[in-house]
Amino acid sequence: VEALQAVKNAYRYAIAYFTLFGGLLLISGFWLFALKIGFTPSQVAAYYLGDPSLFTAPKSFTGLMESALPHLGGMGLFVMVTAHFLHFAPKKKKRGAKKMAVALFVAALLDIFCPFAIINGFALFAWVKLAAFAALQLLGFALLWLVFSAAAQGIARERQEV
Amino acid sequence: MKFTLIKDIRGDALMRPLLGGLLAFVLLFLIFDVVQKHETIGLFPAAAAATLYGDEETYTDAITFSGLLEIIHGDTFFAMMSLLTLSAVYARLVDSTRRRLLFINTAMLGAFFALPSLMGAYYFGAPFLYGWIALFFLWHLSAFLMAAESLWRLYRP
Repeated sequence: VEALQAVKNAYRYAIAYFTLFGGLLLISGFWLFALKIGFTPSQVAAYYLGDPSLFTAPKSFTGLMESALPHLGGMGLFVMVTAHFLHFAPKKKKRGAKKMAVALFVAALLDIFCPFAIINGFALFAWVKLAAFAALQLLGFALLWLVFSAAAQGIARERQEV
Repeated sequence: MKFTLIKDIRGDALMRPLLGGLLAFVLLFLIFDVVQKHETIGLFPAAAAATLYGDEETYTDAITFSGLLEIIHGDTFFAMMSLLTLSAVYARLVDSTRRRLLFINTAMLGAFFALPSLMGAYYFGAPFLYGWIALFFLWHLSAFLMAAESLWRLYRP
């Protein structure tokens, strides 16, 4: 039993670090968005449709696919792996986890596919892209915090028992 | 992550080759990551400095910050996924609690601080550049040892 507890405790450390990496992933994503795109609907539309005053070319379907493909694989995996740790968390932490994970999947899909709508003439999707990105960041951090706090509490409890 | 629930991993006819394959891929990933970083950024101070700050003598342009951030963004994802999986396998196969935590902490902390160090090197220069190189090798070496020891424990007679 003691050996099993020690293994579980090692998992908690790995999970806590995983959430810190998740935070770094979200921060670097936010930073890239700020540097490359911008946070107003007109900046988002200009990034994808091109802006003659800034000498930027419109994004092509192939160009969008190059970004969409790794994000489809990565975001799905990130949300699933992070959220599934809540399965082992205390009941209180689990509350709302399912809704949060589903909302994250939807936000990620909208974030990935809105640019395709924008380059096909639906410039209003710039608003949706911004809303989806904001939801992705906020819910992502909330989920990471839930998992991190559950793991940290487990580590603290284990230390007290020792 | 089903292997975390199996009592005797070494005796399980399916999980043993599956984890063996995973560990082999992790080892290859770590080796190729070193080679790739050596080719793209440089793992010696002079080569890395030329990539980050440019080099007038060889007409090398400095990397853009958004280009560097894209590398960090992608590397964060691969580091977190590979280290989480590796840590879970290592925790199951190694008996010593102390060594288990030592290696998991070293690899995770090394990787976690290596990524912002690269960003720091872009803005603040040499101290962060040396820090990035040291931390990069530290987490790759720790992870390599974890994978190698796990593989040995999985297949030892």
